[in-house]
Amino acid sequence: MTSRLKRKLGDLGVDTSSKRATENFCLIGTPLPPLEKSRDTGEFVPLWKQDVRDEKGRRRLHGAFTGGFSAGYFNTVGSKEGWAPSTFVSSRSDRAKKKAARPEDFMDEEDLQEIRDSQKLVDTTETMDFSGTRAANTDGGPEDDSITGMLKASLLPAPSDSAGARILKKMGWKLGQGIGPRVTWKQRKQQDLEAQHGRGLVPDNVKIPDDDDEAKKHMYPPRDIPVMIVPRKDNHHGLGYKPGMSLNESLSGSQAGSSSGPKLAGGFGLGALNDADEDDLDVYDSGPSATRNRTAYDTIARDEDEHISVGPRSARMTSGSRPTASVQTFQDGQPVLPGFVLSDRPVAEDRWFPLPEPPSGWRPDPRRVWNSDKENIQAQEPPEPSGHGRWKNNVSADTRGSMLGEKPLAKGSRSVFEYMSQKDAERLKNTSAKFQAGSLDSTGPVPSPPPPPPAATSIVIRRIDPHVAQAALRGFQPFTADPAKQARYKLYLQSQTSEDASQSPPVPLPNQKIDEFNKELEDYATAAQIFKPMSGAMASRFTSAAIIDHGPKVHEGLHTPSQEAEEKARKAEEVKRAEEKVSPKVHAAKMGMFGPLTRESTPWQPARLLCKRFGVKDPNPPPDMPPPDSMPASEAAAASAEQAASASGSGIQRELESAGSGPRDLRNIGLGEDESQGRDILTYTKPSMDVFKAIFASDEEDSDDEDADKPDAPLKEAVPPTAVPAADTSVDKLDPPSIDALPRPSEPTSVDLGTFKPMFIPREGKGKKTESGKDRDKEKGGKKRKKEKKTGLVSFAMEEDGGDEASELRAPKERPKKKKRKEKKDDEEEDMWVEKPPPEVVKEMVIDKPALPLADTPDLGERDVNGPPRGRKRAIDFL
Amino acid sequence: MAPSRGPPPLARTLHASLENHKGSVNVARYSKGAAQYVLTGGQDRSVRLWNASSGAEIKTFNAHGYEVLSISVSHDNAQFSSSGGDRSIFVWDVMTGVTTRRISGHMGKVFAVEYNEDASVLVSGSFDTSVRLWDLRSQNRQPIQVLDEAGDAVQTLHVGRTSIITGSVDGHVRTYDLRKGELRCDFIGQPITAVVPTQDQQTILVTTLDSHLRLMDMSNGKMLNEFSGHTNTSYRCRGCFSHGEVSVLCGDEKGQVWAWDLLDAKPMQPNPPPQVHSKVITWTEHHPTDTGELITASADGTVKIWRHPNTA
Repeated sequence: MTSRLKRKLGDLGVDTSSKRATENFCLIGTPLPPLEKSRDTGEFVPLWKQDVRDEKGRRRLHGAFTGGFSAGYFNTVGSKEGWAPSTFVSSRSDRAKKKAARPEDFMDEEDLQEIRDSQKLVDTTETMDFSGTRAANTDGGPEDDSITGMLKASLLPAPSDSAGARILKKMGWKLGQGIGPRVTWKQRKQQDLEAQHGRGLVPDNVKIPDDDDEAKKHMYPPRDIPVMIVPRKDNHHGLGYKPGMSLNESLSGSQAGSSSGPKLAGGFGLGALNDADEDDLDVYDSGPSATRNRTAYDTIARDEDEHISVGPRSARMTSGSRPTASVQTFQDGQPVLPGFVLSDRPVAEDRWFPLPEPPSGWRPDPRRVWNSDKENIQAQEPPEPSGHGRWKNNVSADTRGSMLGEKPLAKGSRSVFEYMSQKDAERLKNTSAKFQAGSLDSTGPVPSPPPPPPAATSIVIRRIDPHVAQAALRGFQPFTADPAKQARYKLYLQSQTSEDASQSPPVPLPNQKIDEFNKELEDYATAAQIFKPMSGAMASRFTSAAIIDHGPKVHEGLHTPSQEAEEKARKAEEVKRAEEKVSPKVHAAKMGMFGPLTRESTPWQPARLLCKRFGVKDPNPPPDMPPPDSMPASEAAAASAEQAASASGSGIQRELESAGSGPRDLRNIGLGEDESQGRDILTYTKPSMDVFKAIFASDEEDSDDEDADKPDAPLKEAVPPTAVPAADTSVDKLDPPSIDALPRPSEPTSVDLGTFKPMFIPREGKGKKTESGKDRDKEKGGKKRKKEKKTGLVSFAMEEDGGDEASELRAPKERPKKKKRKEKKDDEEEDMWVEKPPPEVVKEMVIDKPALPLADTPDLGERDVNGPPRGRKRAIDFL
Repeated sequence: MAPSRGPPPLARTLHASLENHKGSVNVARYSKGAAQYVLTGGQDRSVRLWNASSGAEIKTFNAHGYEVLSISVSHDNAQFSSSGGDRSIFVWDVMTGVTTRRISGHMGKVFAVEYNEDASVLVSGSFDTSVRLWDLRSQNRQPIQVLDEAGDAVQTLHVGRTSIITGSVDGHVRTYDLRKGELRCDFIGQPITAVVPTQDQQTILVTTLDSHLRLMDMSNGKMLNEFSGHTNTSYRCRGCFSHGEVSVLCGDEKGQVWAWDLLDAKPMQPNPPPQVHSKVITWTEHHPTDTGELITASADGTVKIWRHPNTA
């Protein structure tokens, strides 16, 4: 800082010595990176601090609470609000602008990167023309004319050179030249000739015209040697055959190839006729010239024109192969096929050797051959593998042990014979030896069986020992599956049991040949030997199976009609058996015996709704709902109600009762379809009076002579005794109205709360009666009312009160008293609730009303006023 | 007194021929009440309503996508239901000619459909061997009950007051007694194509594919009578009772209408009856009230109304 400036600044009042005044603003050099940024990137970061970021530095993984895995607008969706579906924009106005969406429009950068990578991969599969075949093809194709070749060359992309071609080009090679050092003109001509005629065929002394001096002065690149392209053989023709080649061509191909010297100049050669030497040649005959296009194989159409053209070469070939004799004939006069030459040498004859004469007395013995064959087979067993292979192959522990000289292990007993005692075994041996001897005696020498099938002309019945036959008869029957055969077998055995052949042996079946019959008898004899039962001690050890399942019978050999018939019979039998299996029901139906056999009755539960729709009572009500009669508490009530109903002719109560028996379903209780809705309320029956008694009656009153069964007994007793005489006194005169007022069972049903009033004795009447009446009213009516509000239920209390009421409101007082009284009495008798005296009381009480017609309305009012006491009772009721 | 005590002669005089159907006519039913109208359904997927006396077509009901195989008319003639190859039952309003309900639930062709007495339940029997009971009062789409006892296609139905009778190809007539809660299964042995009970519900006429009609006693399953002579081996030819149930009628596969005396089971004259249809007669139904009228529907595409000359 200059002093002048300092001074000036000092004048301005700036403290020049302060840091700010001497601050330097020039920076020289590259500043070091700030400390906080110079942190080592490879520094250890605890796991929870590490995070993954994509190539753009965006955080890749978010916590579950910050957007989830790789989610949210940080990575995939471009807005903070998240992905929003694109709104519909009508393109109607600017249809031209509409651009077809490409898949790339929907890709994010990762997808794009991916697709770019994949495209790179595609690009690496660049075609490279390694051998230059494409160039060769483009200009060398036989069917390509020049224009198509040109077009192809121009249209097709230039083949990229192979590496070798590039190197050659760098060395000065050009397309179309041969490879190798440059040659002189003469050499080149030589090469041309070689190429024309084949290597080695051109003599050295061929004169090459050296007419051009100028040409000799230069060196020429060698001629290009065409690459021999071996055509792929993709047809089924024979080797050397080309499609469309005629028979003559193919025959004379080699001859033509060898005989043709240096080619003559192209052009028209000798015609087919010119070449002919023989004048008698008939050109129109079916001679070879005419068969030129007769081909041995199918021709392919496109090749046809080649062969139609009469070239000199083919013409010569055909003429060369033409036979000298135009028509040859076989010995039998048949003409030889054109193109064929009759051979002058006879075909070699087969030499015939006379068969060796069989020695006299020789008889064919297949068994011997068979046995010798068996020996052969045994002899032909594979030789034992030697060395390690032998060990590897199946060497059992036993063999190994025997090889090693071990003592063989004691084996588990394998035969029942080992369990036999020594004596038994010997006896058995003796017996069997005897049997064998016997059978041997009877059958004679084994190797001399009955005459062989071709020679069989007479029936030979093989004899077996009689006791063998007898044993076989008793023993297992081998032909049980075939009853006919079994019968014949039995017959045979029976014939053998008697030594003198008193029993006739079986005769051959009508369509059976003698040899077959012999074979059959042979079989029987063998079977008898095999299946004779075991004797002695052995016999008890075994049980023969009752039925042997032979499985499906397979008929060997060719199909024969007799077997077919057998099959048919078997099938018929099966059918019969199947018929038998048919149930008696079907049988009965077939016989027309309809009835109990064809009828099955099973319980069936119709759906409830179905019953309802059909108006049918559910036939099988669910058992969980006991019938109302079984309710013990309401038994009496129900009975009384029923009686009352029947007496009065009112169906409602009964209906209610019966309806109550319907099944209940928890699902539809209280719903619109619930038939029983409110029914339980309607059908409420009062608990038995004992309950009330227990609650309300005082103990000393129990001692009264009241009938405990009567429901109203306690109530009656609750009435002060004084009331009774009072009532009694007024019985006579009060009777009629009370009768009128008395409930008939039908009436109570119409009682509803609005009109329903408990009956009270007017105050001005007998006070005690009133009191008692009130009491009863309170107890009964109130109770009823509380419990059966809205129900209009029939019950005695209500009946009484309501009946009173009803009688007051609408009862015709002029009714014949007697009748009414009777009715009432009936009611009393029937109604279990009613105790006889109280009705009397009631009657008396009721009596007043008609007596006080004016009090009607006040009465009603009073009753209304009397609500509170009812209320009190209500509380009691709930107890 | 009439000279013959036998059943009155059959209505054999052609009164009208209803020929608007394009293909085979599968079913022809009288309307209820006075039964002045006839409803026919056929292979041409239409149900047609005819005036029986004039022979005029009144209305065509087109909604079915397949052939119509069965029709049932409700008791008040206000609606009818039809079913067929499209595996659903259509309930139609007769006046407007539209379907008021389309009940689907069967897995196969519905061969038979029948109303109950007050048209509150519709019963349908199908190729899927089930009989389904549909509630028409509610809008419930599920059947009230499915009766799947049949072992083969249910070809015919009758819905009585308290019972449902079904006839199945498995040769059983099943009587579902609602009152007793019992299923009575009578084995006939032949594929059953029609069941028609008598008025008293005591006997039932069963048409089977062995060219027989059998009159079965409903109470004990015994056969009371057997009617044969006609040809019915492969088509559903419904037999029925004539008026007063004095005789049994059935059209056969040769186009003849046979009639038998109910009691002695002898074919009535003429025997054999003349061929009146060129193809198999698929449905024969006698007028419910009129003594001398019956209809026959045939595979030749015609429905013929026959009347007795005296009554007509």
